[in-house]
Amino acid sequence: MKRTWQWIVCGVGLGVWVTATLALAHHSFAAEFDSTKPVTLKGTITKVEWTNPHTYFHVDATDENGKTGNWAVEGGAPNVLYRQGWKPDTLKIGDKVVITGSRARNGMNLANAISFVLADGRCVFAGTSGPEGTATECGTGGRGARGRGAAPPQN
Amino acid sequence: MNTKTAACQLLVVALVAVTPVFAQWEGYPTPAIPRTPDGKVNLNAPLPRTPDGKPDLSGIWQASRGAFNFASGLRRGETVPFNAEGKKLFDERQANNSKDEPSARCLPSHIAMRNQLNTPFKFAQLPGVTIQLYESRSTFRQIFTDGRPLPKVDWPTWGGFSVGRWEGDTFVVVTTGFNGKTWLDQAGHPATDAMRLTERFTRKDFGHMELETIIDDPKVYSKPWSTVAQFTFRADTELLEFICEENERDSQFMIGK
Repeated sequence: MKRTWQWIVCGVGLGVWVTATLALAHHSFAAEFDSTKPVTLKGTITKVEWTNPHTYFHVDATDENGKTGNWAVEGGAPNVLYRQGWKPDTLKIGDKVVITGSRARNGMNLANAISFVLADGRCVFAGTSGPEGTATECGTGGRGARGRGAAPPQN
Repeated sequence: MNTKTAACQLLVVALVAVTPVFAQWEGYPTPAIPRTPDGKVNLNAPLPRTPDGKPDLSGIWQASRGAFNFASGLRRGETVPFNAEGKKLFDERQANNSKDEPSARCLPSHIAMRNQLNTPFKFAQLPGVTIQLYESRSTFRQIFTDGRPLPKVDWPTWGGFSVGRWEGDTFVVVTTGFNGKTWLDQAGHPATDAMRLTERFTRKDFGHMELETIIDDPKVYSKPWSTVAQFTFRADTELLEFICEENERDSQFMIGK
């Protein structure tokens, strides 16, 4: 029950964040991703690219429709994530994650990340709560609420 | 062991005990800034001044509210005074999701917008020149304050040429000589080689600075227009690296309408 509640709080927080930060990227968000097409990916990290202008987290995953594949998930720029507590090894190859995000408009297995939830329930709020954050922190005040998450800030 | 030695050793032990480990310089305390009793930067302390009495803008600043649309800083009730050509360009870009914005391909963002991104910049105010170091794209600009005029431009550039002067406590920067290749912002507001850009920086106190930006670009706007943005001093951090070309993959996937 507690876990369910954490998910709800996390989700509400993410919704607020998405509204506030769409299109804050080094590029136009709308040209590449479709915020009306959310995706949830459950799987295992296969590759991490801590690179500019965006980080990429590759994951062997199953989407909400049960379809499996290897996805590239775009995260925020390293400088912004770093200031918010991320490190190059915050997510590692082999980590089990649940990623929420927006699908690419071109239909490829490409998404823009909103959040990463680790196997132990920590909601890595894409740069806001930092890797030590919990699901509850993701959705409530303080660090989680002012977020510029995995979605890329303009840089 | 005498008393002084013992005291010194005690001090060393105490300092080691309270010194946290910092990752690179994130969190390393910025020296010589006013702090409140709890150790945080005192943003409301008086503004510092240089020996000649001018406000000292030096330090790391970040827009209090990062923006991608320059018009988000318009005053209440004001609108962008497009002329016909400017409106046409803006509408086309909006209809295409701004997919062709040069900055998405790692070309420079417009100087007028770069101040207001979600990343900080550093002012270094020196005699004769104020230097602006932007975390964005690891770029810089020189604002000459030695009295030189704006140059006669025979090679227009992405960032133009900037000179600064003081009007009271406001630092006024004028920039011309743009090549007109970049957009004003990601939203698609146009900017041309005819732009005369004026930025008015006013540091209010230690931790707060206001910027009025005046866009005078008669090729795309019917009259000059301006926006206002607020900045906050960022303590206990340093500029980080941002090399856009490292792994730019987005532009190949961008789709218009």
